Amino acid sequence: MNRRKPQNRLKPVATTSAAAVTPTRANPGLRSWREQHLFSFFSSLGRLAARPWATALTLAVLSVALALPLLFWLLLDNTRGLNSGVEDARAISVFLKPDLKADAVQALAQRLRARADVAAVELKSPEQGLEEFRSQSGFADALKVLHYNPLPAVLIVSPRADTPDTAPALVAELQHEPAVDLVQYDALWRQRLSAILASAQRAAAVLAGLLALAALLVVGNTVRLDIQGRSDEIAVMQLLGANDGFVRRPFLYTGFWYGAFAGVLTLMLVGIVEWILSAPLAQLAASYDHRFGVHGLSLPGMGMVLGASSVLGWLGAWIAASRHIALGQPQ
Amino acid sequence: MIAFDQVCKRYPSGHEALSELSFELAAGEMAFVTGHSGAGKSTLLKLVALLERPSRGQITVGGQNLNRTQRRGIPGVRRGIGMVFQEHRLLLDRSVFDNVALPLVIAGVARDEIGKRVRAALDKVGLLAREQAQPAVLSTGEQQRIGIARAIVTKPPLLIADEPTGNLDPQLSAEIMALFGQFQQVGTTVLIASHDLALIKRMGKRVLVLDHGKLIDDFRPQASA
Ligand SMILES: Nc1ncnc2c1ncn2[C@@H]1O[C@H](COP(=O)(O)OP(=O)(O)O)[C@@H](O)[C@H]1O
Ligand SMILES: [Mg+2]
Repeated sequence: MNRRKPQNRLKPVATTSAAAVTPTRANPGLRSWREQHLFSFFSSLGRLAARPWATALTLAVLSVALALPLLFWLLLDNTRGLNSGVEDARAISVFLKPDLKADAVQALAQRLRARADVAAVELKSPEQGLEEFRSQSGFADALKVLHYNPLPAVLIVSPRADTPDTAPALVAELQHEPAVDLVQYDALWRQRLSAILASAQRAAAVLAGLLALAALLVVGNTVRLDIQGRSDEIAVMQLLGANDGFVRRPFLYTGFWYGAFAGVLTLMLVGIVEWILSAPLAQLAASYDHRFGVHGLSLPGMGMVLGASSVLGWLGAWIAASRHIALGQPQ
Repeated sequence: MIAFDQVCKRYPSGHEALSELSFELAAGEMAFVTGHSGAGKSTLLKLVALLERPSRGQITVGGQNLNRTQRRGIPGVRRGIGMVFQEHRLLLDRSVFDNVALPLVIAGVARDEIGKRVRAALDKVGLLAREQAQPAVLSTGEQQRIGIARAIVTKPPLLIADEPTGNLDPQLSAEIMALFGQFQQVGTTVLIASHDLALIKRMGKRVLVLDHGKLIDDFRPQASA
């Protein structure tokens, strides 16, 4: 211990200009700074614990506000697999009339193969189609009750890759073929799907922004009430020469705790929702031939949620505290 | 230590609380500001502690021109001034020790140093035994002395007090004033606002008399009684 010899600076010794306190230790400024931070860190936690109900309510509001966009985003992230899972989307599926004879089907396939704007034509007989359907759709049991094959022959027509603009024209022509029942062009609905997903993602971002703002306001308002309740204390500290940082510090830690705890609660909330949805989602994924995997929040993702919510809490408190501090001082 | 030069203070309400006020207070000097209620005593002290800004004129405290002190510089100025108020303004949810320690915590003094200084300050006002008490259980006179201990714990060169005996009976008032006298004896500059003219006269220190914001007298009574 390197204690300095005790000295009683307040006893009447003849010092004319008793200078204001100056730190005298090797690095006492840094030390007391650390002490003050540690103190604020734990005392603000104590203050939250002193009003458990008010704190719990605030945390509940915060975590719902944070969980909503997070869940929405997770949902979108999971459907992304669905989008990319559809292979060969440029292919045109041509469903032929059910009563068409096999050689007529062959003839049509030949004719189409000869076209300049067609790269390949694959023929799927009704039997092949039924087999595929049975193995992929999850309706195998239902199909057993059928006495006949309801599926038509299908031609999978791949347009030439270097002529993308001719595909719609090709689709139109195919629709006019007398032997054709239905033309399904995947690229079209894929475009629509990705447009829908893109706007949903945009909506999720906007929603996340709005709800983050709500979280900021909730913390800000809670801290503002806290500040109002302690405005006498703040005024006294300012009279005693506390600078803005000193006055603000305990409230920043309060905001930090709100954010951190709300983050933990949010993760729990998301975890519960994931758990509730896991079984039906797994079934759904299976029925889609596992073209999308169901996944929850990753570990780094969880860390980011915690970090972001803590920062939000800190920021909300900073705004509220700074406003109050500025009001109490002359310019 | 304090110099006012042609200082005017007009509140936003339009009321002129101080007009054309000029005086100087040397380092180590002790003075009283007196006058009727509303004369501007509190306003004068507020200008010294930068709780208010003057509308016109120059104020210098400890060689520092307060007119040029930015908002960021205000806490530093206040840390150099011990302030005592009529209402003690102690924090009632903290112990006597914590109240007196607050200026040291604010000034960034290390914790083991704080204990020593707080006890020395409490010893000085004769309340060392009440270190762990809550301020609310103390008598008015004791609360005021804790307030004084808090003001002097950082050994500021300047001590200002606004009606420090306003709530006290004559005997306690005399004791408190004597305490301020002791701080002057160890070199602290002391400026006290009070309307208790009888008490002030007995102290035998310099007296500034305000009337409707104007300095109408500046004298030193002969110590008597
Ligand atoms: N914040 C304020 N806003 C407007 N007027 C004020 C304010 N503070 C004081 N005054 C006015 O300034 C005058 C001087 O007040 P003050 O300095 O408190 O006098 P004293 O302390 O001598 O009683 C009074 O007329 C008072 O009403
Ligand atoms: Mg007054």
